[in-house]
Amino acid sequence: MDFETLLSYEWGVMMPEFIILGVAVALSLIDLFMPENRSRRLLGLFAFVGVAVSFVSLLGLWTSDVTSILGDTFRLDSFAKSFKALLLIGSALVLLLALHYEPKERIAYRGEFYYLFLTALLGAMMMTSSGDLITLFIGLELLSLSSYILVAIRKKHTLANEAALKYVITGSIATAITLFGMSYIFGFTGSTNIKEIAGQLASTYDENHQYILSLAFLLTFVGLSFKLAAAPFHMWAPDVYQGATTPVVSFLSVVSKTAGFVIVLRVIVSVFAQTPSGSSASMLMTLAPYIAFLAGATMIIGNTIALRQRNVKRMLAYSSVAHAGYVLVALASLSMFMFEAIWFYLLAYLFMTIGAFAILQVVSQHHDDEDVSIFAGLYRRSPLMAIAMTIFLLSLAGIPGTAGFIGKMNIFLGAFVVEPAHYVLASIMVVTTVVSYVYYFGIFVQMFFRPVEHTHRLEWPPGVIAVVVICVIGTVLLGVFPNIAYDFLAPFEHFSDFLQ
Amino acid sequence: MNVYVNSYVVVFVFLCLGILLPIVALTAGRFLRPHAPNAAKQTTYESGLDPFHDSRVQFNVRYYIFALLFVIFDVETVFLYPWAVAFEKLGAFALIEMLIFVVMLLIGLVYAWKKKVLKWM
Repeated sequence: MDFETLLSYEWGVMMPEFIILGVAVALSLIDLFMPENRSRRLLGLFAFVGVAVSFVSLLGLWTSDVTSILGDTFRLDSFAKSFKALLLIGSALVLLLALHYEPKERIAYRGEFYYLFLTALLGAMMMTSSGDLITLFIGLELLSLSSYILVAIRKKHTLANEAALKYVITGSIATAITLFGMSYIFGFTGSTNIKEIAGQLASTYDENHQYILSLAFLLTFVGLSFKLAAAPFHMWAPDVYQGATTPVVSFLSVVSKTAGFVIVLRVIVSVFAQTPSGSSASMLMTLAPYIAFLAGATMIIGNTIALRQRNVKRMLAYSSVAHAGYVLVALASLSMFMFEAIWFYLLAYLFMTIGAFAILQVVSQHHDDEDVSIFAGLYRRSPLMAIAMTIFLLSLAGIPGTAGFIGKMNIFLGAFVVEPAHYVLASIMVVTTVVSYVYYFGIFVQMFFRPVEHTHRLEWPPGVIAVVVICVIGTVLLGVFPNIAYDFLAPFEHFSDFLQ
Repeated sequence: MNVYVNSYVVVFVFLCLGILLPIVALTAGRFLRPHAPNAAKQTTYESGLDPFHDSRVQFNVRYYIFALLFVIFDVETVFLYPWAVAFEKLGAFALIEMLIFVVMLLIGLVYAWKKKVLKWM
C-alpha cells in the first residue's frame, strides 16, 4: 500500500473513533503525570466532553453515503451510525454517573477507570462498523479486556475480585468458542472479509456443507451469547453485577450488551442471511429455531429467578438477562423491521436502565447496602426521585405510555408479521412480562407503602439529577411519541445498505 | 480420500509408538537393573549440589511483572525485524503504522515507569 491510496481514504468517517482514541491516550498520560492526591474529577469531565464531541462528529456524518475504507475492514453504513449513536449516548450518561460515584472505600484507580472506560467504548464502536472478522474480533477483545479490569477496579473488595475472576474465566472461554466458530467460517470461504464470505457462501450450495456450516453458526452464536448474558450462558451476570461498582454495572448492562447485539447482527445476519439452505430460503431461517429456543429460555429463566432476589443489583442483573431475551425474540422472528425493532428496544432499554441505576447508585451509596429494603419510604424522603424510579420501573415492566412498552410492542408485532408466526415465542413473552411485574412492583411497595426507616436526607449530586432528568424525558417522550426516534432512522431506508 | 485416511494411519502409528516406547524402556530397565537403594541416591538431583530447604517457596511477584514487561518488548522486536527487512517494499504506510505501534508501547513503558514497576523495592 503506498502513500497515495493512504491519502485517498476518507479518514473523516473514522472521526468519532479517532476522537475517543485521542482522548483515551491523552487521559492516560495526564493521569500519570498528575500529582497523586489531586482529584480525578477533571479527567472524568474531559472524558465526558470527548464522548460528547465524538457524538457531534457522528451526527455530522449522519447523512453521508456508505463509505468503506482500509480494504473494506471499516465501513460506515446506516447500521454502524445508528448503533454508534446508542453506544455514545449510553456512555455519556454512564460517565456522568461515574463522576459522582463516591463509595465508602476510596477507589485508588479513578484515572484508570476513565480511560479504560473509553477504550471499552472504542472497542464497541469498532465492532459496529467493522466489515471484517478480524477487526470485529479485535473490537470484541478490546471491549472485553477493558471491562474485565473495570469490574476489578475496586482492588481491595472481595466481591469485586470474585466477580472479576469469574468474568475473566467465562469471558475467555466464550471468546475461545466464538473464535473456533469463526475459524470454521474462515475455513469454508478462505476469507475474513464479511462481504466476501457472504458472497462465497451465497454462490455455492452443497448438501454436505450444511451440517458443518450450522456447527459454525452454533459455535459462534453460543460464544457471543455470553456477551448478551442470554440463558443458559448468563451465570456470570448476577455475580459480576453484584461485585462491580454501579457505573460499571450500568456500562455492562447497556453499552456492553448493545455491543453484543451489534456483533451478533454483524456476524450472524450478514454471513448466514444469504446462504442457501435445503429446506428454507436461507441458512439463517433454518437455524432461527435455535435462536428462538434461546430467546424463550432466556425470558423464562431471567424473569423467574429475578423473583427470588433481595439484592437490587442481582435483581436488575436477572432483569437485564430477561431483556436480552426480548431482543432475541426480534432476532429469531427475522421480520422486515428487525433492525428498527432491536435499535428502538435498545434505546428504550438504555434510558430506563441507566435511570434506574442512577437512583440505585445514590440510594445504595447512602445506606452502604443493596438490599431492596433501602428503598423503604423513598417517596417520603425524595418524592420526585421516587416518581422517576416509578417511571423507569414501569418502562422496564412494559406498561403503556413508556418507551419500554413501544419497544416490546414492536418486537411482539414483529413475531406475528412473519410466516409462520411465532405464537409460542410471543406468548412466552407476554407471560414472562406479567411475571416480571411482581419483582418490579416489589420496589414500588418499598418506595410508597413501607414506613421510613431512615430519616437522613438523601444528597442528589447534580450529575445524577441530570442523568435522571434525561432518562425520564427519554422514557416518557419515546413512549408517547416513538416517531421521534424513528425520524432519526429515516435517512437509512430500513437499513437497506446492511448487506450491500 | 485414501491418501487422506492414510496420513492419519501414520499419525496413529506414531501415537502408538510414542506410548509404547517409555513403557517398554522402563519395564526393560526394571528387570535389568540391580535393586540397591541408599539415602544419597534418593535425594533430589540438583546438578550435583546438595539440595537445601523446601522446593515450594514463594517467589517475589515482581519477577512476574518483569517477565511480562520483557515479553511485551520482546514481541515488539519480533514485529520490528521483519518490517525493517521489508522496509523498501512496504513504504510509508508501514512506517506510519509502525510508529503508531511503537508509540503505543512507549505509553505502556511510561505507565510502567510512573507506576514504579521498574524499581526493585
